[in-house]
Amino acid sequence: MIRKRSFVSKLIEIFLVVLTFFTHWLIFYFVIVTACKNTEEAARLTLALPKEFHLFDNLAFIFQYQHNALLKAFKNSLIITLISIFFLVLAASAAAVVMQRRKGLLSRISNKLIVAGLIVPASVIPTYWMLNTLHVANTLAGLCLVEVATMFPFAVMLYKGYISSLPTEIDEAAIIDGCGSVSLYTRILFPLIKPITATVIILRSVLIYNDFENPQYYMSGSSTQTVQLFVYSLKSAWTTDYGHLFAAAIVVSLPLILLYIFLNKRILEGMTAGSVKG
Amino acid sequence: MKNRNQKTYPLWMAAPGLLVYIIVFIVPTFASFYFSMTIWNLKDARFIGLDNFVTFFTMTNTRTALINTAVFALVTCVAKIVLGLLLAAYICSGIRSGNYLKIVIFFPYLLGNVVVALAFRALLEPAGTVNQFLTAMGFDAVHWLTDKHYALLSCMIADIWKGIGTVTIILIAGICAIPRSYFEAAAIDGASRVQTFRKITLPLLVPSINTVLTLCLIGGLRSYDLIQALTGGGPGYSSEVLGTAIYKLFARGSYGLATAGNVILFVAVALIVFPINSFIAKREAEIS
Repeated sequence: MIRKRSFVSKLIEIFLVVLTFFTHWLIFYFVIVTACKNTEEAARLTLALPKEFHLFDNLAFIFQYQHNALLKAFKNSLIITLISIFFLVLAASAAAVVMQRRKGLLSRISNKLIVAGLIVPASVIPTYWMLNTLHVANTLAGLCLVEVATMFPFAVMLYKGYISSLPTEIDEAAIIDGCGSVSLYTRILFPLIKPITATVIILRSVLIYNDFENPQYYMSGSSTQTVQLFVYSLKSAWTTDYGHLFAAAIVVSLPLILLYIFLNKRILEGMTAGSVKG
Repeated sequence: MKNRNQKTYPLWMAAPGLLVYIIVFIVPTFASFYFSMTIWNLKDARFIGLDNFVTFFTMTNTRTALINTAVFALVTCVAKIVLGLLLAAYICSGIRSGNYLKIVIFFPYLLGNVVVALAFRALLEPAGTVNQFLTAMGFDAVHWLTDKHYALLSCMIADIWKGIGTVTIILIAGICAIPRSYFEAAAIDGASRVQTFRKITLPLLVPSINTVLTLCLIGGLRSYDLIQALTGGGPGYSSEVLGTAIYKLFARGSYGLATAGNVILFVAVALIVFPINSFIAKREAEIS
């Protein structure tokens, strides 16, 4: 704030910055260094630099493991994330427009359902039963449905909050100018709510990409893996082969790390947009 | 007017999303109440009343899971909020490294729980990095993940490490939303830093703290992946939580009993969160 900073305050700042070296950087360093070691050296779990540089051997090994299982897992994770986000954005924004603009019993009921969904945890096995009934259990399509359904309340909530700040005069003017309901949505409202769409895409794709619980339950009966499931299966198969395990962990986390390096401001802003409104 | 409204915003535009949501989320939620009172193999369900709940509360592993879940949710929640609050208040006091701290502390949020669990497992192994450090300093090595007194604690540490960034970021946004003039007035009146924090920042931050509290409690009660990947609920049942217990019941085919666990989780979340959270409903009413 405006007062002059005391000596103690500066000392605390230095302490905090130094602390992050131990609580964060040292862990990142440990993971990276271990990923560069061969199995025997990695098993010692020390912070020492690798005697021989094995990162590329480790990478080659995990990519070839089980006939390129990692690449297949990447493909699946990518498909799930893209498809779920695409439908989530379309379905949630359209639903939010209708629910926010239209007053009536149906809107009120759907609002109640949405608020409940923000809080209530999903019931996993009945969901599995439902997917089974719809014949999409253990398929990517089924998993996408679950992701869209679990992310839906939060996305609708964000969109509704933003749409309520747009004056209805915009809609009325568009209608007078000859917009139908579809073109009102596609040409007027959807472009206006772009900031929220960006927030939804960034935040939700992180969650879907990193999701472990849903794929574990709803893909358990299939050989199809996502990257998180792949790493988890390596953990069971290799137990303490940390050189290879960490190489896999880094590869799997890399897309989001890159995203964070370029978009950290945006992500931090989006994080708060989501929570302050909800 | 009403007619035009209906034409402009036709229900079918809301239908796809709402239908998916109702079919894949709402219907299973209601169905869970029925299935929790049955012996169930996904095809046939035989009604047995409240037996599953009795079993769930009396079986050692599930009872331990209930207690552990409560402890886990409470401890991680309090730790994240207290630490996050201190960090947020300090970062907002205009320090130079504020941006750096925000970015670094938030970063673990982007890592998958499985990845975080892997890193912590290597650090906390009996001969792992943390114990190497402890013995070098002259302390006794601690069996973080294999000693039943420490397993849950280790999970909590990993969870706090991963989750504190989110809490801090949200609280920082809350503090930034407080008008600067309040702080200026307090400074003119000669309020100390601590007084400013207690009398101005804290009371005006209540809505943000409420949000964070809700998020943390729900997250804590539902936590599953991190513990599953770190200890798998072990050793014994010492770090078993509802999430891991439900998964074990699912894996061995006790679907009715597992669903009873889910309903208990559901009721616990509702009982704890709805009262705290009634303010969200109020704000929601204002928005719509």
